[in-house]
Amino acid sequence: MGQAVFTGFFGAAAIWFGVVVFRTSSMVRSALALLFSQAAIGAMFLAMETEFLGVLQLMMMATEMAIMAIFMVMYMMDPGGLGGMDMTHQKRASLVAGALGAVAALVVALLAGWGPVATRVPAATAQVHDLGIEIMERSMLIFETAGVTILTAMIAATAIAIRRRR
Amino acid sequence: MATLIVALVVGAVLFGIGLYGALSQTNLVMIMMGVELMLGAAMVNLVAFWRFLHPEVYAGQMFVLIVMTVMALEMAVGFGVATGRFRARGSVEMEEAQELKG
Repeated sequence: MGQAVFTGFFGAAAIWFGVVVFRTSSMVRSALALLFSQAAIGAMFLAMETEFLGVLQLMMMATEMAIMAIFMVMYMMDPGGLGGMDMTHQKRASLVAGALGAVAALVVALLAGWGPVATRVPAATAQVHDLGIEIMERSMLIFETAGVTILTAMIAATAIAIRRRR
Repeated sequence: MATLIVALVVGAVLFGIGLYGALSQTNLVMIMMGVELMLGAAMVNLVAFWRFLHPEVYAGQMFVLIVMTVMALEMAVGFGVATGRFRARGSVEMEEAQELKG
């Protein structure tokens, strides 16, 4: 019962801050709201006894969203939101699409038969050990592919962003 | 079962918010924020599935690691595109990027 309460609490926080991302006109507040939303997701992982991924999510998102806030201040026309600019379009269609997506996922979540639920989960240290074995054995090719993809993306992002010589 | 349903409901609502954001925002960085929320929703579902349905199979956690990688890649490439676009046109407003339609 306690697990459901904590998961629900942090889930509600993630949803609340997710809404704030698109409701505030200040871009820095928007980036911070996304940071808090992602941190709440990390806390949900911890509440669901997935300690390694929870800590990883908290560490990754703290740095990622801090970088995002810097980029938002750099590139937005009205980063403080003081000009009252409307930076949205096709609002009604987007609302309908978002609501439809959420309702479809909710219907599946509530109506599908999920079968028996596991009551026990391996200890945190066993999880890290077993995930390491998974990465180094069965999923090694996937892990290596992810590494090469990150390298490719880093080179591509630098190539796109670099100033062109004329 | 209650926690699984709670997590799936949170995932569904987060996905809807992210989809709304990705479709409604005109700024590239804000669109990326919507995508980040959708990927966050996918991670919540994956962790819930791993924890409550198959805690003995670590492919679920591996899948979450891959989604985290995708989030980092999306940020890196998205900001690369934003920087290139800002240098070329002085703006990352997607309303002014009609020529990218091809």
